[in-house]
Amino acid sequence: MSGFIQHDMLPNAAHDEQSRQDFVLALRSHLSGTLMPGAYRVYQERVEPAFKARHGRGPADQEEVRKVMTQDPYYQFWSAMQRRSQEMLWESVIDPTERQLEGLIAKSRKLSAKRLARGRRGSLRTNPDLVVPRYHTAADIHLQPGGYHTDFAADDVAAGAVYDKGINIYMAGALGSENDLMGNTLVAYIREKHPDFKPQRILDMGCAIGNSTLVWGRAFPDAELHGIDVAAPVLRYAHARAQAMGVPVHFSQQNAESTDFETGGFDLVLSHIVLHETSRSALVNVLRECRRLLRPGGLMLHLEIPRGRTVIEKFMHNWESYNNNETFCRFMTDIDLKAEAIKAGFPGSQVRLDAFIPGMSVAQMNYTEHFFWNILAAER
Amino acid sequence: MSSPRPEPPRRPKGHQPQYFDDPAVDQLHAALLASAIELSVAFDRIDTLEQLLIERAGVTRENIDHFAPDEAAKARRAARRADLAERLLKPFRDYRESLLEREAASRDDVNAPDQSSPGARP
Repeated sequence: MSGFIQHDMLPNAAHDEQSRQDFVLALRSHLSGTLMPGAYRVYQERVEPAFKARHGRGPADQEEVRKVMTQDPYYQFWSAMQRRSQEMLWESVIDPTERQLEGLIAKSRKLSAKRLARGRRGSLRTNPDLVVPRYHTAADIHLQPGGYHTDFAADDVAAGAVYDKGINIYMAGALGSENDLMGNTLVAYIREKHPDFKPQRILDMGCAIGNSTLVWGRAFPDAELHGIDVAAPVLRYAHARAQAMGVPVHFSQQNAESTDFETGGFDLVLSHIVLHETSRSALVNVLRECRRLLRPGGLMLHLEIPRGRTVIEKFMHNWESYNNNETFCRFMTDIDLKAEAIKAGFPGSQVRLDAFIPGMSVAQMNYTEHFFWNILAAER
Repeated sequence: MSSPRPEPPRRPKGHQPQYFDDPAVDQLHAALLASAIELSVAFDRIDTLEQLLIERAGVTRENIDHFAPDEAAKARRAARRADLAERLLKPFRDYRESLLEREAASRDDVNAPDQSSPGARP
């Protein structure tokens, strides 16, 4: 895709591979830009009126919407296409990754030893004994075959390479040339709300390939930057990618519910669309761990996906729960993130939940025409 | 791949939803998209070739219309057709695996799928 940076760790796409990726992107843009809004129209003009005629009221919640919408032929058609496009997306990226994997692994080993500007260097600490939590292993999140956590070769980086190009296509390029939209969003937020904040030590939780992490390294070049994730192959890729792009980051394989970092050692702890990949119990554990890791006056920031305002929006957002292995999403719909942060020990007066509207086109929004980010912010 | 690395999965772990009353319709939708993507690949490749031929080899449209493939070209085409067939039929294979998994799970209570879990059809 034009504008997507071809850094050293990204597999090249040969002619036909590129064609497949281009087609998936075109198909998904059409599904999002044209067919998805049609599902809202079908609901408003056909499904909801039929429900009202039968019950004398509109659907009370997303579950009632779900019962009738999943019977509608238009919704069925869109759903089937959306699901298949997601499977095809991964297939189109897996092909070139597998073809070049030996070279990618060799490159990642070499990049690992590279010294960056000012004599700095990132690091990688994997932990083969870490128990990858069940919310990660029960189903392959987003349908990426093998998930983010499975190694199929020594020093495997395939899951990371597949994820990097995959999320670029998934968001139809909206994530930007380095998949850095979410990091940029939170940096813009912190610059606006906390203009004088100069963190010395930053932790990015659930960092995957570090696409958002690097944004923080560039925004605060003097800070010591850490990234953690439960999945080894994406972390190896993240480390090599960060080295290739010249940003020193210390990656380690850890569960954000319980890390081995010392208490009070970070000024800023954050995550980018990670909370909805956890579970009901893990969510508050993660927030508690954030509180433990922050020094007094330190800041916690979590960027989250909206869960919808109306019952039909909530239902459409939850398409991913039922069709894209986003198992926890449907529980997130009605969770009060602010209350969870307070439960985790943050003082109520220091917790905020803000909405941030990005500049995206409807062809880049998969389930709604009214996209916004939720930002959970709390000071220790 | 020349390495002894095991073939990684091409099918995601988790429930495979069914959208239509007849699962055959789901399979046909999936196959339709698989054939569409390969058709798009073919269009792109033809466009590339025609462009290169016109730019660099002085080939004309007439030459293409009267082309007869040699044995090597025939073998190349056969391999491509086999690849197309495999991609076209992948949804059917995946559906079969999903059916067999459900079957195996139903014989083993420990692994029986939770009907209330996301992905279970209402």
